[in-house]
Amino acid sequence: MDCTNKLQVIMGDVSVGVRGENFSYLFSTVRLGMESLVRDGAEWLYRTPQPAFWRALTDNDRGNKFALKSAMWMGADCFIKCAGVVVSVDGREIGVPLAPANNMYEGALEAEHVLIAYTYETVTVPATEVEVCYEVVTGGDIHVRVHYKGKKGLPELPVFGMRFIMPTCADRYCYEGLSGETYPDRMAGGVYGLYEVKGLPVTPYLVPQDCGVHMQTKWVEIYRSSTLDNSRKDGEEKGLCFRAEEGGDLAFACLPYTAMELENASHQEELPPARRTVLTVLGAVRGVGGIDSWGADVEPPYHISAEEDIEYGFWIGGVKG
Amino acid sequence: MQADIKWLDDPQVFRVGQLAAHSDHKIYANENEMERQQSSLRQSLDGKWQFAYSVNPAERPADFYHADYDTSGFGKIEVPCHIQMAGYDRIQYVNTMYPWEGKVFRRPAYALGENRTEAGSFSEADYNPVGSYRKVFDLDEGLRGKRVCICFEGVEQAMYVWLNDVFIGYAEDSFTPSEFDLTPYIKDRGNVLAVEVYKNSTAAYLEDQDFFRFSGIYRNVTLYAKPKLHVEDLWVKPVLSDDLKEGSVSVKLILSGEKDEGIQRGGQVTLSLKDQEGLVVAEKTLTAAETMDVSFDGVREPHLWENKNPYLYQLAVMLRDESGEVVEAVSCETGFRRIEIRDKVILFNGRKLVINGVNRHEWSAEGGRCITLKDMEWDIQCFKHNNINAVRTCHYPDQPVWYDLCDRNGIYVMSETNLESHGSWQKAFTEPSWNVPGSLPQWKEAVLDRARSNFETFKNHPSILFWSLGNESYVGDDIGAMQRFFKEKDDGRLVHYEGVFHNRAYEDSVSEVESRMYARPEEIIEYLENDPKKPFLLCEYMHDMGNSMGGMKSYIDLLDRFEMYHGGFIWDYIDQAVYAGDPVTGGRRLCYGGDFDDRPSDYEFSGNGIVFADRTEKPAMQEVRYYYGLHE
Repeated sequence: MDCTNKLQVIMGDVSVGVRGENFSYLFSTVRLGMESLVRDGAEWLYRTPQPAFWRALTDNDRGNKFALKSAMWMGADCFIKCAGVVVSVDGREIGVPLAPANNMYEGALEAEHVLIAYTYETVTVPATEVEVCYEVVTGGDIHVRVHYKGKKGLPELPVFGMRFIMPTCADRYCYEGLSGETYPDRMAGGVYGLYEVKGLPVTPYLVPQDCGVHMQTKWVEIYRSSTLDNSRKDGEEKGLCFRAEEGGDLAFACLPYTAMELENASHQEELPPARRTVLTVLGAVRGVGGIDSWGADVEPPYHISAEEDIEYGFWIGGVKG
Repeated sequence: MQADIKWLDDPQVFRVGQLAAHSDHKIYANENEMERQQSSLRQSLDGKWQFAYSVNPAERPADFYHADYDTSGFGKIEVPCHIQMAGYDRIQYVNTMYPWEGKVFRRPAYALGENRTEAGSFSEADYNPVGSYRKVFDLDEGLRGKRVCICFEGVEQAMYVWLNDVFIGYAEDSFTPSEFDLTPYIKDRGNVLAVEVYKNSTAAYLEDQDFFRFSGIYRNVTLYAKPKLHVEDLWVKPVLSDDLKEGSVSVKLILSGEKDEGIQRGGQVTLSLKDQEGLVVAEKTLTAAETMDVSFDGVREPHLWENKNPYLYQLAVMLRDESGEVVEAVSCETGFRRIEIRDKVILFNGRKLVINGVNRHEWSAEGGRCITLKDMEWDIQCFKHNNINAVRTCHYPDQPVWYDLCDRNGIYVMSETNLESHGSWQKAFTEPSWNVPGSLPQWKEAVLDRARSNFETFKNHPSILFWSLGNESYVGDDIGAMQRFFKEKDDGRLVHYEGVFHNRAYEDSVSEVESRMYARPEEIIEYLENDPKKPFLLCEYMHDMGNSMGGMKSYIDLLDRFEMYHGGFIWDYIDQAVYAGDPVTGGRRLCYGGDFDDRPSDYEFSGNGIVFADRTEKPAMQEVRYYYGLHE
C-alpha cells in the first residue's frame, strides 16, 4: 500500500483528529462523540451524533398509551452521559490520549485504521449502556458499529438508532431501497428501486408525528449545497453516503427535525423553520400498527424489547458521484 | 297550512308537504337533449342568496318569507355552502357525543316515557342557529307553463320552505333530496323563495355522525319542470339467471299528467334497452298509464357488470303525447349483476365477493361536506389506481351523482341510510338507557322514512350491492322495521347493519351479514371457527389515523383462510380537516377539532384518511394498493 494513502492521526488535547486526502475528522475525547466530519471541504456535523431512543408519538402510539409505559426513553433521547472513550490505532489500544501522555508524539501518526469507541450511559432507571465505535479505514471511510445493551426492567423502545444532525438542510437525498415511507409492519407495498427525494419533506400528518422511515435500504446519499462556513462561497453540492454493511441493509429517516421538535407541534405550521438535516440511521423500528387508534397495540413481532441487545452497523463515506 | 316551529321538537314530524322520494332518473324535454345530457327542464338555483343568521329561533326574522319583507339587513351567502364555512356560526368537530354535551340537558322526546315530550327542546333553545335564506328568481323558458317542483339535494338539518308568501313544506333528513311541488304558486317572474334552516331538531339525535357539525343548504338546489306526461318514478330491476347466462329487466313506471287532467288518452311510452354501443337490445311501446309494469325477458348472455368491467345498459323512456310528439325523455343506466348468499358465502356474479373497500365521507378541506364533481372524479380515479373496489357511504347517502360515478366505474357500494345515534348509547361505556330510535314507536316512522328515501332515490344503481341501515345506533324494533322495509322490496341486494353485535337479541332479524368494526384478526378467527351463522365482513377496519396502516396482512390473509370472510372497508378515505386562515404565518392551515374554540371536541380524531384533507395520497396508500391488488 502506498504510504501516502495512510491515515494521518493527530493526538490533540481534547480530540483525536484523523485526516487524509479530501477528508478530516475530529473525535472529541471530552465531549460526547464525533465532532467534525469534513469531506470534500464540507462539514457534515452540527453536533456530535447520539443514540436516538424516541420517536414523536404516532396517533396510534397515543391511542394505546405507549408513552405512559415508555416515556422514560424520551428523557434518554434528550439527555445522555458519555461514560468513556477508548482509542485504538492499527489494533493497538492507547486509551485516552490526553496531555501529558500525548506529549510523547512528535507529529501526526500514520495508521491504516483508527478506532474510537464511545460508551454512553442512559438516564433511564435502570440505566443501560450503548457503545458506538467509529473505525476509520484507509481512504477515509468510517465503519460505525452500534451496540445497545439490553437491560431487564426497561420498558419497550419506540425506536433505536444513531441521529446525525447536519448543519444545514439537504437539497435532496437518494437511496436504494423501498419506495415511500415504510415501517416494519407496513412495507409490503414498497417497491425496491433507486429513489430521489427532493428537499426534506415531512409527511404532513394533521398532527406532526414520526414519519419518513425507509426500511430495507442499501444506501442513502445526502446532498447539501448550503453551508454555515462563512468563507465557503462555491455553492457546490456535496454528498455523503451512508451504506449498509455487506449483505445487509439499513433503515433511516431523513427529516429537518428531531423527534422532540416533531413531538412539540400540534400542526405542521407549528414546526420551526427548517434549518438542519436530521438523519437517523435506525437499528430497530417499532411498527405503526393499524387495528384501531384507541388502544390496539402494534402486532407482537413489531415491538422493540429494551431488555435485549440491539447491534448493528453501517458505513459512512463519499458518494459514488 | 301554516308552518309550526314545534315540529322541531317532535320526532313524529319530519316531512310536511314534501313529495314522495323517487328514483333519481334524468329527465329531458326530448331525445336530443338526452343525448347531450343537457336538460331544458331543469334550472339551477345555486349561487348567491340573501341570508340572515340568528343564533336561536327567538331571534330569527320570523316574517322574512313575505315577499315584501325588508331585507336591507340581510347579508349574502353562497348556495351550496355550510353556514359555518361561510363564517356565521362556529365550526365544531365532535365524535360520539352530542354537540351540546354538558351545555344543555337534553333527552330525546319519549325516550324516557310517553309523557316526556321534551317540548321546546329545540324550538326554544338558546343556541340553535337559524339560517334565513331568500332567493328571488324568474323561471327559465323551458320550465314556464309546466308543473314546477324544487329539489333540495341536501339541507342540514331541518328546513321550512315558502314561495311567494305561501308555506310550502318542511323537511328533515339532511342527506337525501327534499322535493316540493311549487306549481300552484309559481310565477314566470319575480318569485320569492324563502328557506329557514335550523341547525338542530329532533333529527339531531339521528344525525350524530362522527364529523364536523354543520348546517345550511350545502348541496344543489334545482327547479325542474314536469311536462304534460312525466315519469315520477322508475324502478329498473335487472335480474340474472342462476347460471348468469340470461338476463331480464323488469321496469315499474309511475307516470303523472297535468294537474287535474291526469294521464291523457293517447299518450304512449316507448322503453328501449340499449347496450353500451347504443344498439337496441329490446324495445316496447305501450299506452301510457299511471302505473306500468313492463318486462324485458330473454336477454341472452348479457354483459355482466363488475368492478373490472362495469358494463352498463341504458334504459331510455320516451313519453309521447296523443299527437306522437316526444314530451319527455328519460334516461337510466342499469347493469346485470347478481349478489346472493349461498351456503353462508356472499357470491357476486357466482364468485365469492371480496370487499377491498373504504369508508368515504363526502369531504373537502375547502368546502367541508360541500364537494364538487371534480372532487368526486378525483376520488374515483384514486380508487381505481389503488385497487379499491368498494365504498361504504358512511354514514349517510351521498350526492346522487356519486352513485352514477360508481356505476360507471365498477365500484361496489354499500349505501348507508342517514342514521347514527351513538351519543344515545355509547357514552363513557355502552349504556342504552335512552337510546334512539330503539323500540320507540314515536321514532320509528322517522327512521323508516330515511330508509325509504335511501331506497327509492338510489334503487336503480347497479353499483349498490348492500343497503345499510345506518351506523352505531344500537338496535331495537325500529331498526328491525328498516330491515323489513328493505327486504320487502326484494331487489336482490343484501341488508347490512353492525349494531346487532351489541345486542344479539336481534341477530336473527337484523342484518344478513355478520358485520364488525375494528375486530382484531383473532376475534374474526374466533367467530369464523365457531359455527358462524352469517358471512363476515368488516364495515370498518384499519383505522388510518395519522401514520398508521400497519399489519394489514393479518386481515388480508383471512380471505384465503376463510370462505366466509369477505374483507372490509378501511376507516377511512379522507382526513376531515378544514382550511382556515393562520394569523401567525399569514397563510392558511388545515384545522381540526378544537381549532375553533369548539367544545366539546374530539380534536384530531377526524383525520383518519388514506388521503390527506387536501386530496394527496398518504404514504400508506402503497400498502393499500398492494394488499387490495391481491384479491380481485
